[in-house]
This record gives sequence, C-alpha cells and structure tokens, in this order.
Amino acid sequence: MNIQDIEQEKQQALAGIAAAADEKAVEELRIRYLGRNGLLQDIMKGIKDVPNDQKKEYGQRANSFKTEVLDAVNARKETLAAAGGQTGAGIDLTLPGAWPSLGTRHPISALIDRAVGIFRSIGFTVAEGPDIEDAFHNFDALNTPESHPSRNPADTFYLEDGTLLRTHTSPVQIRYMETHKPPVRIIAPGRCYRRDTPDATHSASFHQLEGLYVAENVSLAELKGDMEFFVRRLMGREDIRIRLRPHFFPFTEPSVEVDYSCHVCGGEGCRVCKHSGWIEIGGAGMVDPNVFKAVGYDPEKVTGYAFGMGVERMAMILYGIPDIRLLYENDVRFLRQFR
Amino acid sequence: MKVPVSWLLDYVKITATPEEIAEKLTFAGIELEGMERIGGAYSGLVVGEVRAVEPHPNADKLRVCRVFDGKDEVQVVCGAPNVEAGGRYPFAPVGAMLDNGSFKIKKAKLRGVESFGMLCSASELGISDDHDGLMVLDPEYTAGTPMDTVLGPPETVLELEVTPNRPDCLSMIGIARELAGIYGVPLEMPAVDLQETDIPVTDHASVSVDDTEGCGRYTARVVRDIAIRPSPSWMQRRLELSGIRAINNIVDITNYVMLECGHPLHAFDKALLKDSTVIVRRAAANESMKTLDDIDRELQSDTLVIADAEGPVALAGIMGGAGSEIRDDTKDVLLESARFDPDLIRATARRLGLSTESSYRFERGVDPETVEWASRRAASLLASLADGKICRGVIDVYPNPPNVRQVSCRFDRTRDLLGADIPDENIIAILSSLGLKPQEISGGACVLEIPSYRGDLEREVDLIEEVARRFGLDNIPSAPVAARINVDADDTPWRHREDLRGEMTALGLQEITTYSLVPEGLLNLFFGPGEEGRIALPRPVTMDQSILRTSLVPQMVETLGRNRSRQTEDAALYEMGRVYRRNQDGSSTETIRLAAGVMGVPGGNSIRTREPVTAAGMYGRIKGLWEKLAERRPGLTWTLRPCEAPWFEPGHAAEIESGGAVVARFGVIASGIRKEWRLQDPVAVLDADADVLASSGRAMPRYQALPTYPSVTRDLAMITGHDVRHEDILEIIRANSPDELETVELFDVFAGKGIPEGRKSMAYSLTYRAAGRTLTDDETNGYLTSVMDALRNVLHADIRDR
Repeated sequence: MNIQDIEQEKQQALAGIAAAADEKAVEELRIRYLGRNGLLQDIMKGIKDVPNDQKKEYGQRANSFKTEVLDAVNARKETLAAAGGQTGAGIDLTLPGAWPSLGTRHPISALIDRAVGIFRSIGFTVAEGPDIEDAFHNFDALNTPESHPSRNPADTFYLEDGTLLRTHTSPVQIRYMETHKPPVRIIAPGRCYRRDTPDATHSASFHQLEGLYVAENVSLAELKGDMEFFVRRLMGREDIRIRLRPHFFPFTEPSVEVDYSCHVCGGEGCRVCKHSGWIEIGGAGMVDPNVFKAVGYDPEKVTGYAFGMGVERMAMILYGIPDIRLLYENDVRFLRQFR
Repeated sequence: MKVPVSWLLDYVKITATPEEIAEKLTFAGIELEGMERIGGAYSGLVVGEVRAVEPHPNADKLRVCRVFDGKDEVQVVCGAPNVEAGGRYPFAPVGAMLDNGSFKIKKAKLRGVESFGMLCSASELGISDDHDGLMVLDPEYTAGTPMDTVLGPPETVLELEVTPNRPDCLSMIGIARELAGIYGVPLEMPAVDLQETDIPVTDHASVSVDDTEGCGRYTARVVRDIAIRPSPSWMQRRLELSGIRAINNIVDITNYVMLECGHPLHAFDKALLKDSTVIVRRAAANESMKTLDDIDRELQSDTLVIADAEGPVALAGIMGGAGSEIRDDTKDVLLESARFDPDLIRATARRLGLSTESSYRFERGVDPETVEWASRRAASLLASLADGKICRGVIDVYPNPPNVRQVSCRFDRTRDLLGADIPDENIIAILSSLGLKPQEISGGACVLEIPSYRGDLEREVDLIEEVARRFGLDNIPSAPVAARINVDADDTPWRHREDLRGEMTALGLQEITTYSLVPEGLLNLFFGPGEEGRIALPRPVTMDQSILRTSLVPQMVETLGRNRSRQTEDAALYEMGRVYRRNQDGSSTETIRLAAGVMGVPGGNSIRTREPVTAAGMYGRIKGLWEKLAERRPGLTWTLRPCEAPWFEPGHAAEIESGGAVVARFGVIASGIRKEWRLQDPVAVLDADADVLASSGRAMPRYQALPTYPSVTRDLAMITGHDVRHEDILEIIRANSPDELETVELFDVFAGKGIPEGRKSMAYSLTYRAAGRTLTDDETNGYLTSVMDALRNVLHADIRDR
C-alpha cells in the first residue's frame, strides 16, 4: 500500500458512503473501512514497509483517511436520519401536507379593510350608522327635497312604519356630525339598499364606502389630492391620475364624479376600462351648506368634502369578476381565489 | 335626452365634431350616455305614392296597395294600419337594401297575394323606434324621389344625461346655450315672425286661472282656419331622431317647440272647448276624464286640471284629454303655454304612474319667461306650416312675476372652496359667459343678476359650482396629501371586529358575505313562521329578498348546502354581519353577529383523513372553535349548558352564558333542516355576539414569571358511568388537589370492547409543579391518592392500576 493507494481507497470510500441508501449500508461501510479489521488497520500496519523519508507523509495521509471517512459516515447518517430514518428510498416528499385549511377573506370585506387602512393612514377613523334609517337622515338633512327622484318608492325600500333601508351610506355623515364637533374625518363602510332588480351588475343590497372631511378651509383641491392618494395606494400604481367630471348630487356642491386612469393599461385603453383609459370610482363633492345647517354647523366657518364609492363595483373591476351575484354565492372555489 | 347634432347646430355656429361636442358637454356636467349614427344608407329607397288600397282577400290585417314609384305602378301587400290612398311613404322596391345593406327586398307572396316591395316605417329605416305604422311623408314629395334626398345626410344623435338641477338644458336651445358659453360664440335664437290678423284673441277665447299657486302663468293664443296634414319631413325627422313620433302638423309643432326651447305646449281643438273657455283649477272630488291615451283617469281634489265650461279637458302639464284633442277636421286651435307648479305635477304624475315629456319638464321647473316666447314661436309655425291665421294678441295671466334674482359671489371664498387660484376677473368672466349679469363689484365680491332660465342658481355656492365647471375641474390642482389626526375620534369597536375577522381567518376559516334580505321560507325553516320581531319589506323586488334576516345561521347552512351540492366536501366558513329585529315599542335593533359553519373533515382531500363524519366529531370541531376564541379572551368568563333550540340536533348543541346573557350557541344542525339541502353528513354552526367577542377580555396582558423548577406528570385512568361528564371529573380533581396541580388534560375516552356495558374509560394527565422546589415522588403520589379517593367516593370510579 502506498500513498496513491490510500488516496484512491479514500475517494472510493467517500463515494460509497455518500451513495449509501440507508443507515445499515453506511454502518457496513464504516466497518469495512474503519472497523477492527477494516482497511484503516491495514493502512496503519503498512507504515512499517514505507521508506523512512516517506513515513511522515504516509502517516498524514492515513490520518486524513480516517478523519474524512469518519466525517462522511457521520454526515450520511445524519442526513438519512433527518429524512425519517426510513429504509429504502426514504419518504415521498411530495405527498400532500397535513395542515387543515387556509383561511381567506371575502373580497368585499377584504377590500373594505384595505380601503379603510389607506384612509386610516391619513387620519380617517371609521364611523357607522344603521341600515334602517329615517327619511330625515337619508334624505332631508342631505338636502334631498321631497321632489328628488331617489325618494320615489319605486327606488327606495320603505318600511311600514315610514322608516326606510338606507339608499346610501351618506346618512352616516349626518349622524356623525350631529354628535361630533368639527373637525370631522371619517370613513363609513356599510350596506345600502335600492329597489333594483337583481342581474349581473345590480343588486338590491350592496356596500358603499363613504368619506367625509370637514374642517376650516377644506377645498376641492384636497378632495382631488386625497382621491389620487387613495387610488394610487389601492391599485399599487403611483402613475395613476384622477379626473373629475361635473355632476349633481343634492348633498354636495360642487358635485363631481371621480375617474382614475386605468390601473391595467395606464390610460392607453384596454378591455377593463372599455377602451376609454378611465374608470369611474365614485361620486364626490364639497358638502352643501344646507347639509351643514341641518346638523348645526356654520357653513361660513367650516367647509368639507364627501365621497362615496360602490364596493362591489370596485371589487368587480379590481378582480375581474363578471357577475355581482358571484360575490354573494360564496362558492368556496370562488372564495379560495381571494387569498 | 336625445339631441340630433344638426338641430343643435342651428343655434350655435361651431365646427366641432360630434365627439368634441360630446366631450365638452361631459366635462361641463352634461354627460354623454351614448352616441348613435343614423341614416345615410337608404340604397334604392324612394318616395312611394299609394294610389289605391284594397282589402286583402285572405287576411283581415293586410291590405293590397297600388304603389307608384315614379316610373311604374306595382302591387304591394302592406300590414300597417295607417296606409291610405294618396299617401306618400318610404318605399323599398324589389332589389333595395334595408338595415345598412344586410337585408335585400325580394318579390314575395303574402297569404297568396304577390307583393313587389315594401312600404316602410321609421324604425325599418333605422331612424326611430317607432314601428306603429308607416312613416308618413310630406305629400309635396313626388313619387320616385330618393329617400336620401328626403331624409338628408346621415345624422349623429347624442344621448345626454341632464341632471335634475338643470331643467334649462332639456332642450336644443338649452344645450346650445351651454355650448355657446363654452366656445365663446353667440347663441342664435330663431327669429319669430308673427303675422297676426286684426281679430283680437279675446273675441275667441277666455282664460281664468282659479289656482294661481298651481299655475303661475297661463297664456293662450288662438290660431284659426288651420289645415291639418303631415308636418314637413324635416320636422318629422327631427322629432323622430329625438324619440318623438310624428302625428300631424299641429301636434308636431307643439312637440317641436318643446324640444327646441324646453317649454311644453298644448294645442286644444277650440271647437271642443265648451264656450271657448279655459279654467285652470283643482279637480273636484269624483271628477274624472279620459286622457289622450284613452284611459279614464280618476281625479283627486289636488289634481290640477285645465277645464272648459263643462269639465276637465286636460291634466295640466301632463297629458291632454281625449275629448279636446286635435282631430282631422280641427279648424281652430287654442294654444296653451303655461307654467305649472313642479311639486303638483310630480305628485299627480307619480300617483297616476304617468310620465310624459311634458310632465318631465314641468316637474323639474320651466322658465316662466320662456312661456310667451314658446307660444309665439309655435303660433308662427302654425301659420307657416298649417296655414293658420293668428288672432291678435295673447291672453297672458301672470299675476306674480318673480323678481329678478341677484346673488353675490365672493372671490376669496370661491378660490378657497375650490383650492384654485382663479383671478377675480376670470370669475366674473366665467359667470358672465353663462348669461349672469354683473351688477356691482365691491369688497372682494360681485353681485350678479341671474337669468330667469337658471332657477337652480340661488346661492353663492351655486355660482362657485358654475365657476368650477367652466374653469375646468382638470385645471384644479391636486393638493398635497396630508395626514390629519382627529384625536377625539375613536373607532375601537370597528377595529376589534376587524381583528376578530383576522382571527377567524387565521383559524383557517373562509369568510363569506350573504344578502341581508332573505326569503321568508328560509327563516321559517329554522325559526318557524311565528318568529317575532321580523322586519318584512312591504314591497320587495323579489320574494327571495323580502325579510331582513334575524340570524346569520340559515344562510350559513344554505351556503354549506350550496357548496355540498357543487361537490365540495369540506368547508369551514364564517360571516360577520348585522341581523335586524323589530322591538316591542316599534323601534328596531341591529346587532352584529359572528357565525361559523363547518362541513366535512378539514383538509378533506388529504390522505390521512378518511375518517367518518360523526355528529359528535362535528360538535367537537365547533366547540373547539369556540374554545380557541375563548382562549384568546382570558377576561371572558363563561359557562356552558345544553341548548335545546329546535334547529339543532337534540343533545348536540350548547349555549354559552356570560354576564347573565347567552353570548353564543353552537352545535350540530338538525337532520330535518339538513335534508333541505341534502346534507347527509352532520354539519355544525356557531352563532355568537360579535361585539361581545370583539370587545371582551382584551385587557393588557401581564407577564407571569416562567417556572424555574421541573414539573411532574402523572397519568390517571378510570372507568366511570356513561353519564359522568368530563367537567364533573375536572371539578373533583381540582377540588381535591393542592395549588401545585398545574394542568389536567383528558387524553383518552373509550367505551366498548373490554369496558363493561354502560361504562366508559377516561384517562387524564395531571401535571404538578411547586414554585420554589422540585416535587418529590412521595409528594406527588400523595396528591394523586387524594384525587383517586375522591373519584372513587363521589363517582364510584374504578381507578385502573398503573
């Protein structure tokens, strides 16, 4: 046995150990190489036949044979033990895991939470109001005269006692201002009801997200800036622009409809924005002085903006859901898509 | 509102494309809802003159016509009720194309009679939805004139949404006025040339307005010796493009003027007005009249009517009466132009379910100053298009003309509210471009006179809105976003509920959202028809959504059932939402509930979980869910007791009491209810008060020192009677142990082989630990012995030897 032989034997031993399929095979190899009658013993015995000038190197080689093979044996044993100490080829690592289930959030409430979170980050707090409202909070205080079409029993669910199911979340504005002094900075998510015949885009009940900011000197420019901030955060795109279109709502003046440049195509035009480059996100405006009078605020001292958005509509646009009824069917195969 | 662009451009001279016009209007607040291109493709269609009309031998509703197309006379079978000999109608001879070339006219046989072509309605030409009859053409046209010549070049019609605050825009002139302001060009009003005869109108009519509140202004003109015929085709076309059917020159003129200036008019056959008298009054009780649509209308004492000496002849501002309408033999016309009270018209129109172009405009408010102009305009058209002779003068009952309104606008206020730096001069210029007249500029404000057609401009803020609109919302900057914290605002309850949702999700449940309106049958299935406090909609849209839900449970089970029917075997769902109840005193309460529902084995597709679904197992799961929720709320003290609610499986449901109230119920749903959705395996639900869960036991946690000495665990197995409850055993163990007992855990329950009938084996792990030392074997054995003795004595348990 010379130095080259030791080297060769070592490589062979290491390869064999690394390929050993189970602990038993590793043990057999250990005995073959390092055991009482193993190869190491032969190597050690062979040193006496080595010329003196090579004895030192031979000794070092023998030593490294011993340590490297021993390390390899131990390492292989550990690996096999970690793999379950199984015999044969170990376990099938790809079998399904055993964690029972993954919780998911419903797209409507998840979207509400997300939106609320964004508004919270700039100081809004959540306010709530009842679904069953009176005409004062739903209409009168919101400067909506008896004559306004939305008060028509063909559009609004009136209950037998003259109360009604709120047609928008705006009455929360009134209830909040009635009980709080300005400044007011609230976001009010909730269910609303309108006498719409259910179809792919209509539902007799749906969710809105209402916002109200009242303080000294609030301006339309702030509404624009805050809407821009919100949509950018919601869509995760900093290049989104906001466009306001004049509109009419009884409780705001000026009143606007808010569009944003499409989050999918960036305004170039695509299927999501119906090739217009813009998507409508809601109605908004500056709080009408008559609304302030109804809650006892002085319209000469404070101004404010308000906005309202349809949550289902937003969810449908955001996730590409074609039919509003899917949101209320709660098929788990649908729910699972919103992780 | 439908606006044919070519008509619009009569009043405002601009060269913009329809798309540009639509864009400008949209950003001025008059939104484009649709744009339609019409006509221009009447290939081969000509004016056909019908020379004879014979009955069809084999069909009552068909007629056989001889039609002259300019060259030949051909036989055409026609089904239209209004075909008449001598009439001129659009004619598509054999070989002509309809529907923009998609439909070719061929020779046909209709009920055995040959037909060589087709007489057309306006809808068949694609210029209106009117398919009630043939499109009647001006008899001036000679047969054979190409229809392209008759109908003119192709037309673009804008469909515009006019918001309720802008009744002044419900006309061509109204829209043109907006455009004139936007483009900075003058509005060109049509010239009205009124050639009156010497006979004064008062010789032929009298007007009495008994209700000046309901009718602020009433004018009447009389036009005599008119000739009834179809109106000229240009007028017919404009009407049809605007969605109004052409009838005859008189009716068409009133409609034309209404669309032109926004002011509804009515023409009475003067001969049918008893004593040629018009009285504007409220209806008497029990009065009734037949309106133009041949329906008898019951009138009420608040209904505003136009009456003659005998009785009502028109529903004021809504619809004329059948008894005074223009007929083929009408000679003299009384032309009404008036202003009626918007609220009154709306109330009547709503009560009768009758909405007309006229009522639509009166409801929104018409300009009292346009009343007289509209009357003159219509009279002049009656003269030129119906050969009428106009009596001199007008009867104009206008007792209280409104004062000219003046509104002040502060420049700083305008800039502050909009957040835009608009110079004073620009503000004045913008308002002037809208027809407002600056009266006085001082102290940083401008007083402006409001034109009568802008009834919506009453306050400063109305003017500021106009400035914003005209200045351009795009030119208003986006202010930098600033976080402003309102320290007094508190939305803790919402946040707690948000956390609770997060907790449910973290526990592996999927959130659902269901309708808050439910069908009655669903609630009855769970709670019976006698459930109190339900709030039902008096007029639901669909019976599936007719009652406000009183519980989340029915829809939770329904959702499980729906998923099961779609081959989903396992689900763990939750919903947080409101339920609604009517209280004894008539008020209503909305409370927020948390519901959960479980079906199948969690991870049902996993290879490890092919265990049968048992009622006990499902109960265990839903109770486990409750325990996890409770564990997170150390401050919530609660006790469990059986729940006997009928929608639960007997003996498989519990309710949780806390602070004297039931805060949660959970258990396995009764099999009778499950059957409704063919849920064969047991499913379990939890129904809890979300606010209690969200808010309770959330005190600030306090650190407790971790134990430094080891614990000692001893197992204890016993055989007890089958009805001994786990909680009873726990109680005995705790009562007979020192403070050193740290935990007691049940690790096995078994009944069956090797255990006597009626008994069961229960095995517990008891863990002991002392605060300052390691426990000795003797000590722990001693503790255990007292526990075993107590169990033997109280429960007659056989303690198994270790």
